[in-house]
Amino acid sequence: MTAVAGDDDFELVARVVARQDASAFGELVRRHQSHVRNFLRKLTRDYTLADDLAQDAFLHAWDKLHTFRGQGTFIGWLLKVAYTTFLQSKRKSNRYGNVLEAISHEPGGGAVEDSNEVSDLDRFLAVLTEEERAVMILSYACGLSHREIGEAADMPVGTVKSIIFRGKEKIRDIFDIEDHQYG
Amino acid sequence: MTSKIINMAERIKDKEDLALEALFRSDPVPDDGFTASVMAQVRRTIWVRRLSMPIAVAIGAAISAKPLIQAVTIVPGLLSSIFGSSVGFDRLPVDSLPQLSTMLIGATLLMAVIMGSRILED
Repeated sequence: MTAVAGDDDFELVARVVARQDASAFGELVRRHQSHVRNFLRKLTRDYTLADDLAQDAFLHAWDKLHTFRGQGTFIGWLLKVAYTTFLQSKRKSNRYGNVLEAISHEPGGGAVEDSNEVSDLDRFLAVLTEEERAVMILSYACGLSHREIGEAADMPVGTVKSIIFRGKEKIRDIFDIEDHQYG
Repeated sequence: MTSKIINMAERIKDKEDLALEALFRSDPVPDDGFTASVMAQVRRTIWVRRLSMPIAVAIGAAISAKPLIQAVTIVPGLLSSIFGSSVGFDRLPVDSLPQLSTMLIGATLLMAVIMGSRILED
């Protein structure tokens, strides 16, 4: 039986775990690569590094898929793997530190994207700590619930809420919310 | 009930929430061969895992074949020496015993191959 695009995530995961079904895993990658890459791109602000990390994250996911217990969404679990991969990579490499430093000193100067909105994003991300950055991205870019963020970032829901509260205070300080153009 | 209230509370959005959503909004990332690249690596991992143990066993067997054959051929002589005479140990054909150093080298190489395959896999 081959993987079908209509199958839900849990069914595909079950196929991978039970039969090492590579085509089912391929469908999961195709389905979620955008979320994972977007998350890591926003976290690192370096597209090449982010895509490398995304590849590593999916390989880790392949290895650890049997640990997914079906509690919460699959994308929540996958983003947790991606975040862990990011943290492990950061510990090993100075490259991320250099990118982060460049962003901190030149807000908006990274030019990873070329719209004004991304310049605002760079300015905002530059004033956040790494933990705050991850939580805010998981919440506002990936649309995870507070509980899912807590699981992904390995922190209590109360901490997630306080980080988001702090992030909102910072955005209030940086941007004039009344005049800011949003959807 | 409590979780429903919490979920509702999470869904209520203020100005900052909307501003942040606008700030973080981005187009989906096109695949551009990303999935194919990941799957190529996954398939490589699968093959490495499938092949590493048989290869390690084959190499180990090739290295230890000679001392193993020697060990097998010596057994009848050894048994007859032991049971044929109560004090026959001095007449054991020691020269034909598999050499300890050869066996150690074989075992070390086998370990190295297994560990090497694990490193390659990682």
